Amino acid sequence: MKLKETILDPIFKSNPITVLVLGICSSLAVTVTLKGALVMAISVMIVCGISSLILSTMRNTIPGRVRIIVQLVVVAMMVILVDQILKSFEATYPIDKQLSVYISLIITNCIVMGRIEAFALGNKPIPSLLDGLANGAGYGMILLIVAFFRELLGSGTLFGLQVMPAGYVTNNLVILPPFALILLGCIVWVQRSIQKDLQEK
Amino acid sequence: MNTNSNLYTVIYTTVIVVVVAAVLAFVSQSLKSKQDANEKAETISQMLTAGGFGTKAEFQAMGNAKVLETYGNEIESAFTVNAEGAQVATLDLAAKEVFSPKQLKAQNYKVKAGEGYAIPVFIFKNGITVVPVYGAGLWGPVWGYIAFEADGKTIHGAYFDHESETAGLGAKIKDDPAFQAEFVGEQAYFGQSPVFSIIKGGAPKEDGKSVADNQIDAITGATMTSNGLDAAINAWLGAYAGYFGTVKTVEE
Repeated sequence: MKLKETILDPIFKSNPITVLVLGICSSLAVTVTLKGALVMAISVMIVCGISSLILSTMRNTIPGRVRIIVQLVVVAMMVILVDQILKSFEATYPIDKQLSVYISLIITNCIVMGRIEAFALGNKPIPSLLDGLANGAGYGMILLIVAFFRELLGSGTLFGLQVMPAGYVTNNLVILPPFALILLGCIVWVQRSIQKDLQEK
Repeated sequence: MNTNSNLYTVIYTTVIVVVVAAVLAFVSQSLKSKQDANEKAETISQMLTAGGFGTKAEFQAMGNAKVLETYGNEIESAFTVNAEGAQVATLDLAAKEVFSPKQLKAQNYKVKAGEGYAIPVFIFKNGITVVPVYGAGLWGPVWGYIAFEADGKTIHGAYFDHESETAGLGAKIKDDPAFQAEFVGEQAYFGQSPVFSIIKGGAPKEDGKSVADNQIDAITGATMTSNGLDAAINAWLGAYAGYFGTVKTVEE
């Protein structure tokens, strides 16, 4: 596979959320505000990218029988590192507080383990790093789209700044996870009508 | 080399785990002071918000150093009290020693048991006394700070925080200024049960005025969180009854 495809495919053509339908759980949970979604997107990009890089470098030494466990240990380490770093800075501390358990739960995000198993263990380090980062970016892009609508309609703000007129009554359904699922459905619908080869006969 | 032999597998996993553990321990140790500083500033800004020294957004905008400075300028004395209301130990004002949510949690077991606790009291120069409350919400712990006027029973302000309540519903204990504003001007009935009530469906009213001074409306759609906060407030203010009881007798 060419490098360009490695980078561009996960963003749209084989987007981890809308096409592979991975990482749905967290995309419902952390998309209430754009700030939260952005931090989550960057965190997943870093975890996915660096874990892929590390595991791809070690791929020929990993014993086949404990492959998954070794992957888990490395991913868990990356997740804890990201969480610790977010907690350490004044700027990111409130956002980490808001995201609470969902940063730690990146380890259960199927995209991370899925890409390592499917790509990093069979490819060289640099393409693996790019694949990880690109999949994280594809995930993050959908997160931001969903968060844009949820924050706008649910809180009347964007990145915490008031954009809706003062009399706007916030919509409580939008704040709750089911609405994120409805939005995701709409995004899948749009993508499938653009990309005809995804449609089942 | 045969990467599938038992010996290789055991050695390989052992080395991986040791290396990862070492990395995590090192990072955790080197970042701990920064994390503690952030948590402390957060706790102090919550207490100051409850005390009416500014809004939470203002404290967040001014940064950690300024928050600590404001606290240093406003605080008069800080100490821990026991069930009888007697002073147990003083908190270091110069070091801006406060109680983190973890420390509150440790005391919460003793508060629930009704004995053996040493819980903090913060008295500010303008006569306002701030005390913490801690308990279980729907999904995780909820805690907060209630500020009392110099009379030791009228509530001056309150601020609450939570770990994982539902955004838009239970999270309103933290995010909805209208809910926190409900506490202002209410009274805690120390020595009675309940000390304070958050009532589902709204506090009983007669001619548009509340029947009792210690009742406020619960949050719509967040009954479990409201109940949890109600229980937390009652347990902790109940635990402070000894302290506020002595303050009152001294004044009378």
